[in-house]
Amino acid sequence: MSTRQVDTSGFGAYAGPVLRDGHSYRFEIAAHHLNADDRLHGGMMMTLAAIMLADAAREAAAEKQPGAKVGALSLNCDFVSAGEKGDIVEGLTEVTRATRTVLFISGELRASGRILMTATGVYSLKDAGTR
Amino acid sequence: MRRPLPSPRDVAAPAGWRAVELHDPFEAHVGPLFTRDGGEGERIFGFIVDERHVNEDGEAHEGMMLTFADAFLGHAANRAAEKGCVTLSMQASFLRPARTGEFVECHMRVERKTRAIIFVSGRFNVGDEDMMTATSLWKVLGER
Repeated sequence: MSTRQVDTSGFGAYAGPVLRDGHSYRFEIAAHHLNADDRLHGGMMMTLAAIMLADAAREAAAEKQPGAKVGALSLNCDFVSAGEKGDIVEGLTEVTRATRTVLFISGELRASGRILMTATGVYSLKDAGTR
Repeated sequence: MRRPLPSPRDVAAPAGWRAVELHDPFEAHVGPLFTRDGGEGERIFGFIVDERHVNEDGEAHEGMMLTFADAFLGHAANRAAEKGCVTLSMQASFLRPARTGEFVECHMRVERKTRAIIFVSGRFNVGDEDMMTATSLWKVLGER
């Protein structure tokens, strides 16, 4: 299966790269992603969740309503365990529900099978140009 | 204390603000971040949205907003606990976007403090307009 970079926007590219292969996401923790205790920074972990969940939301929106725009309404992140430099973080997402106007997405991040974060997000779905 | 880390970009502090001394590599990477005294012991934090921080629509990326929130809600938790804290959970609502060039401010409030857990909320605004609210839970290291 082919690997591609997701979210190549300013921050997605600056904090990433986050790669996608089929339904799974992949990210390698580098020195500049850490906090002062040499663990993956909480902000970067939430950034990964934000990138993955938004990517899944855009994909679900494209299937439902081609050309529609997706915007984040809320994001909830639980910090289950810490990540360290060199760890490969793997992510999975799931569309919990997609209505005509709102998308519910959930996801989790793991490293070596250990769960790092669970996240849920709510996204708005709007016709192109109305945002 | 270790020496503060430099940020890759030079951004002048707005009048009345000064750069925060950052010790977390990822905060330095997205910085500089600014602070000023809000009076009555309050400390206010802020950053100027630049093209590193935005999504494809030129609006502050949720990841950047959550990084900013984690840094300074964490600062409030550490200060309340007088010890190091780690994030347990964070919930954010995105009220409106912030665009390139806008200055985002964060006002934090400690909602409750127990020996082991600190509850911190944050309100984020651009000028007079609220743009994000966040609530968070922090674990005080070494306490149970």
